[in-house]
Amino acid sequence: MMNVIQRHILTCLCCLLPVVAQGAAIQYVQLAAPAPLQAVDWYTGFMECEPVAGREEAVNCQGLELEFIARPILGGSQGTGIDHLAFSYPDVAAKMAELERVGVGGLGVRLQRYEDGAAWRDVDGFFRVGYIFDPWGTRIELLQDAARTGFHHVHLSAADPAGTLAWYEEAFGGDPGNVTGDLGGLRYDNGWLLVSVHDSAMPAATAGRAIDHLAFSSPALDAELQAMAARDITIVQSPAVPANANSDSRRAFVAGPDGVRIALVEPGWAGVALMQDTGDELSAVNDTFRAPQTPWGEPDLQGVWSGDAAHGIPLERPDDVDASTALSQAEAAARRERGTLQSIWGYEREWRDTTLGYAKNAPLTQVAMIIDPPDGRLPPLTAAAEAARNARGGAPAAPAGPEDLNSWVRCITQGLPNHMLPTVYNNGLQIVQGPGTVAITKEMIHETRVIAIDAAPVDDGIRQWLGNSRGWWEDDALVIETRGFNGRAPFQGSSEDMVLTERFTRISPNLLEYRFTVDDPAVWTQPWTAMFPFVLDNAQYELVEYACHEGNYAMSNILSSARDSERGED
Amino acid sequence: MKRKRFLAAAMTTMALLLGSAVAGAAEDDFARSWDGHPDFNGIWQAIGTAHWDLEPHGPAAGPPAFGAIGAVPPGQGVVVGGRIPYQDWALDKRAENFANRYTRDPEIKCFLPGVPRFAYLPHPFQVIQGDSKIMLVSGFAAASRTIHMDKDEPEPAPIDSWMGRSHGRWDGDTLVVEAAGFNGESWFDRAGNFASWNLKVTERFTPLGANALMYEATMEDDTVFTRPWIIRMPLYRRLEEDLRILEFKCVEFSEEILYGHLRRDAGEE
Repeated sequence: MMNVIQRHILTCLCCLLPVVAQGAAIQYVQLAAPAPLQAVDWYTGFMECEPVAGREEAVNCQGLELEFIARPILGGSQGTGIDHLAFSYPDVAAKMAELERVGVGGLGVRLQRYEDGAAWRDVDGFFRVGYIFDPWGTRIELLQDAARTGFHHVHLSAADPAGTLAWYEEAFGGDPGNVTGDLGGLRYDNGWLLVSVHDSAMPAATAGRAIDHLAFSSPALDAELQAMAARDITIVQSPAVPANANSDSRRAFVAGPDGVRIALVEPGWAGVALMQDTGDELSAVNDTFRAPQTPWGEPDLQGVWSGDAAHGIPLERPDDVDASTALSQAEAAARRERGTLQSIWGYEREWRDTTLGYAKNAPLTQVAMIIDPPDGRLPPLTAAAEAARNARGGAPAAPAGPEDLNSWVRCITQGLPNHMLPTVYNNGLQIVQGPGTVAITKEMIHETRVIAIDAAPVDDGIRQWLGNSRGWWEDDALVIETRGFNGRAPFQGSSEDMVLTERFTRISPNLLEYRFTVDDPAVWTQPWTAMFPFVLDNAQYELVEYACHEGNYAMSNILSSARDSERGED
Repeated sequence: MKRKRFLAAAMTTMALLLGSAVAGAAEDDFARSWDGHPDFNGIWQAIGTAHWDLEPHGPAAGPPAFGAIGAVPPGQGVVVGGRIPYQDWALDKRAENFANRYTRDPEIKCFLPGVPRFAYLPHPFQVIQGDSKIMLVSGFAAASRTIHMDKDEPEPAPIDSWMGRSHGRWDGDTLVVEAAGFNGESWFDRAGNFASWNLKVTERFTPLGANALMYEATMEDDTVFTRPWIIRMPLYRRLEEDLRILEFKCVEFSEEILYGHLRRDAGEE
């Protein structure tokens, strides 16, 4: 990984830019936060920003306006085209010490420490610098620039920093200059735009991430867009007054370099009032989306996807929730807090402290994973399955040997479809494709399914833990049908005759909808279908090796304690 | 600036190499992928006795209960130069490993096989050759490798692991994979040959016609060896129609060795 010094040196490739108009300003930066009011509190409490009179969704940070939008977050800002925001303090060491004392609990502050554990560092030719994250994944740099306090700069990440700065200068003006020494950037009325070279390949797109976009004011919006279109700049959204806008100013979106979403707003812009329920925001993203294609012409589902956002959604609808509604963001957050954070609080805190740049996805608001039957409940069992379930009852006996423990405890497999469902951790799902083949790897206990497209079925005499799969494409969706289970890793009582049909559909650049239908007539009186999404997280998630069996001390402990207790009874 | 010019020159050379390879495609006796590189998609397997012992070895008895099935077939070895250049202490360690092979070999315990052992296990593996990653998937212990083809240069492994972290690049028609970040627990074979966490493996996969490739791996580990050393063997494409990688979830086959003494009826016959 490139260190800060190298990054800043590379940034200097852009020092020789022509001087053009001054007087431009960064209008606002939009951050996503499932609960914007909490974000306003956080930024006023910790970053010395001020509330904006008459607006509940924005703060003013010494000249820069931050606007918050209520919606789930598809990952943090680091690794995207807008890597972080920077604020200047007279004494960074004291400020970092203050923030460290706040701690990471609840809506706290996460420090991004340097490799040696230090919270801040004096960077040669730059300033004293430290990094933190807000609770929603926006990376924030704190630096000690005596020349100014408060908002300091927006820091972009670009494949070609010089080209990117030139692009912004041509589009939005700004005054090329040096922040310090020979570190160049664009100076706007309210702060700097700096650009570092991206570590590897391309930065991730900002749309949907913690820092969604930045905005510039555009007095002659239509003419300006026309000029941009003539320069082959993609107009993502035509000018319109957004629903719930606080003013009559129109806003348009263009695609900036490096996957950065940029808004142009007419003078008088005053933000968008908070909407109460944005539970279906995720599905709203995708009306016109078509999955990209692999170079050899199949739908491209490749990447590292995370099931984290879906963790906490129960398979079945709880009795006290109506199937027709979605949870509010606050209810969804509380549900995950109950399900995840309390049960494994130690893990969570450790991760938040140590996993740099990792921002939990906002929880999803789905009431239940089961969408068919529409009441969100498993269909009735067959009489035979009901009888078998009743016969099983009673407390499990102490295990006589390994075979008496389930296949997940034994590190053999979670079975299907359980293998796909999110749990408290290790929800990464890596998809790699070759022509006619899809490899789907789940991080949890490391299992890779290799799906052959349009292939002949495997002989039914071969029974496998994860069954025999074959796949095909339906439009842009990958459909996998699996039979031939060995029946030893049942899901909710499923039998070896279960037919599992899974459907993976890329419904937006960052979302993979996953549906599965269980057809098992020996157990359930009708087939049932469940659904939840995976969120693309290429920038921050790399599967680690979950070597489960190799360190499975639980097996020895469970079996030896069973033997000990039997000896005690003798 | 110097470095840039060098890079540019190197890229031109690569482009020329690639260009000439593509231009000569009609004469190739192996398939090429959409991007002009050799197409390794498919199922591959080593034939031979490297999984028993990388070094030259005669036949040897196995556990008496398994008769001829459990015995070690002879082989001429795959180590270039014949012998692994161990440091003195490491020869003793290998002897200890060998003496305890029926309980300590990671393979017998169904542990992840490590690198390069993955390539010549007596199990097939499938290559899924994508545009940014290449995956190698075995049925054995559900082991897989992700080869990152989309990084400018090898990145450090986030954490030591059995399979390490693999970075690939093309050198003409050869896929070169650098793997490091190992946990030092893997063996190379059933004879107790081993390395430490310090191991770095550089593998080369070179087409040898349509249905074979030459597999070469260079081992560097100055904790265990006196110098780098190389193994070389062909891998063969499995040609059976509709062949799949089937599960060999061997955990349950290893449980008697690992936990048998903790059974309720342990010691009773």
